[in-house]
Amino acid sequence: MRSFMKKLYYDVKKCLGCKSCELACSLAHSLTQDIFKAIKEEKKSLPRKKVHSSKGNNYPVSCRHCKEPKCVDACMAAALYRDDQKDMVVYDQERCVGCWMCVMSCPYGAIRPNILTKLAIRCDKCQDKDEPACVKACPTGAIIWCEEAEVKV
Amino acid sequence: MKQFVIIGNSAAGLSAVEAIRSRDKDSKIIVLSDEEHPSYCRCLISYYLAGDVKKEKILYRPESFYKDNNIELILNKKVTRVDPKKNRIVCQDKSAFDYDSLLIATGASPKFPDTKGIKKTGVFGFRTLKNTMDIDGLLAVTKSACVLGGGLVGLKVAYALKKRGVDVKVIVRSNQVLSQILDPEAAGLVKKKLEDNGIEVVLGEGVSEIIGEEKEIKAVKLDSGKAIGASLVIVGKGVSPNIDLVKNTDIKTGMGIISGNTLATNIENIYTAGDCAESFDLTLGKLAVNALWPVAVEQGKVAGSNMAGEKIQYDGSVAMNSLEFFGLPTVSLGIYNLKDLQGYLELKTYDRGANVYKKVVLQNNLLVGAVLVGNINSSGLFLKLIRERIDVSTLRDKLLEDNFGYPDIMDLVKDKEKLYV
Repeated sequence: MRSFMKKLYYDVKKCLGCKSCELACSLAHSLTQDIFKAIKEEKKSLPRKKVHSSKGNNYPVSCRHCKEPKCVDACMAAALYRDDQKDMVVYDQERCVGCWMCVMSCPYGAIRPNILTKLAIRCDKCQDKDEPACVKACPTGAIIWCEEAEVKV
Repeated sequence: MKQFVIIGNSAAGLSAVEAIRSRDKDSKIIVLSDEEHPSYCRCLISYYLAGDVKKEKILYRPESFYKDNNIELILNKKVTRVDPKKNRIVCQDKSAFDYDSLLIATGASPKFPDTKGIKKTGVFGFRTLKNTMDIDGLLAVTKSACVLGGGLVGLKVAYALKKRGVDVKVIVRSNQVLSQILDPEAAGLVKKKLEDNGIEVVLGEGVSEIIGEEKEIKAVKLDSGKAIGASLVIVGKGVSPNIDLVKNTDIKTGMGIISGNTLATNIENIYTAGDCAESFDLTLGKLAVNALWPVAVEQGKVAGSNMAGEKIQYDGSVAMNSLEFFGLPTVSLGIYNLKDLQGYLELKTYDRGANVYKKVVLQNNLLVGAVLVGNINSSGLFLKLIRERIDVSTLRDKLLEDNFGYPDIMDLVKDKEKLYV
């Protein structure tokens, strides 16, 4: 079983801003899981991670799965909740009405609205895979998937 | 054993209950509600009326929540008086409860203007699940409806009625929709979206009379003399805090029940949170009632924690609204319209082709407000900048850019992460 304690960290010096992580994320969350078919899906899969540039560096930004998540407090449909055992914020899409309160309250700007599906786009740490797709896709090893104690600064 | 009494079973009350229980597993908690349903997603009643949300999804917590957390829930119980001297509350049916620590989270009720005919059957407020079910029961025989008021509740109920096949007109006294949360430019974009989708909006018109029999409405008469046929009228003229239960007590009130920075009232063991509470507003710099779901949840959490012995300071609330009609997302934060306010600076962009309007309001290099239509991706960052009262002078040129992102503010915010190594 995969460790629930692992988190995503980023070595900013290694990030080229190539957006391979964005592409891999979109693909991993597409219906067809095939890049040539995925771009033709009616409601296109959008990346849960976005690379932002600031002062010459590149920073992949996605959900932090906060300990005290503002998005959960703001969710008026009780679609978002924190699962302490999995150490993540879980999203019940069936309950979501697309009010975007979570978008408005995320202090990291890590949630975006998908207007077509009326669903919030946010990182689910690729729950159904052995490790997140962005980690595998990063060509420079800038995305680090490890437990907090293992992070090397 | 300590006894907590919580008046109100919605956002503020429940989040307080959860905050208390996470710290104190044993004390007795009694929750009183004047409604007949366990806690539900109040903001979803329009989606429920529209048919977008099924009944089993409207509950805010599972039915077993109260039992699982050892909470005594008493429904259909209206509290009419608080007696701070005796540490006791008294209900409409004369029953009484003693408390060691009390939370007043009674919420708010729809305001009804004193328009002639407003008491007729077929005129509804839109606040509760009961309102929703009563209206739902009439829709099979309703062809046309009028919504009085162009606020968020009015527009949401108009959307629901339209979705259910009712011909609906929204009558708005002011010259724009959503005048309490949007500037005229943003409101114009929302109004156009509504009209493009078959919801007619009449601006700058008051209603002088609701015409018809006591039990059967025929039409709504406007100030201009024109009559609009309707058999159903929904009033969306805002809400007023439910504070009658503390009238003539030592508990201080203004527009709502006044809370200090721990969310206690002026009486040490009585707290208040949510739509009935008047608390410090961060952008206005003074007391205000921000009757909003996320504000109620955050206030309930602070109040509940402090009732359970913590000493958490509440920084204050920020007006925050997020809405979407027919694929047009819109967010409003803090000060949204300068009107005759002095000493503020507005920065705006409007991309007509993309239907994207963005505005930020600055005061002495602090961000104090924002309005976003069509692209709301920066809204969470703006809220963070507003809450932490961060000097944004170095960000001025970036704020409205599409690629504005967290890395632009990460060196300025209080909490430093160890995510980027």
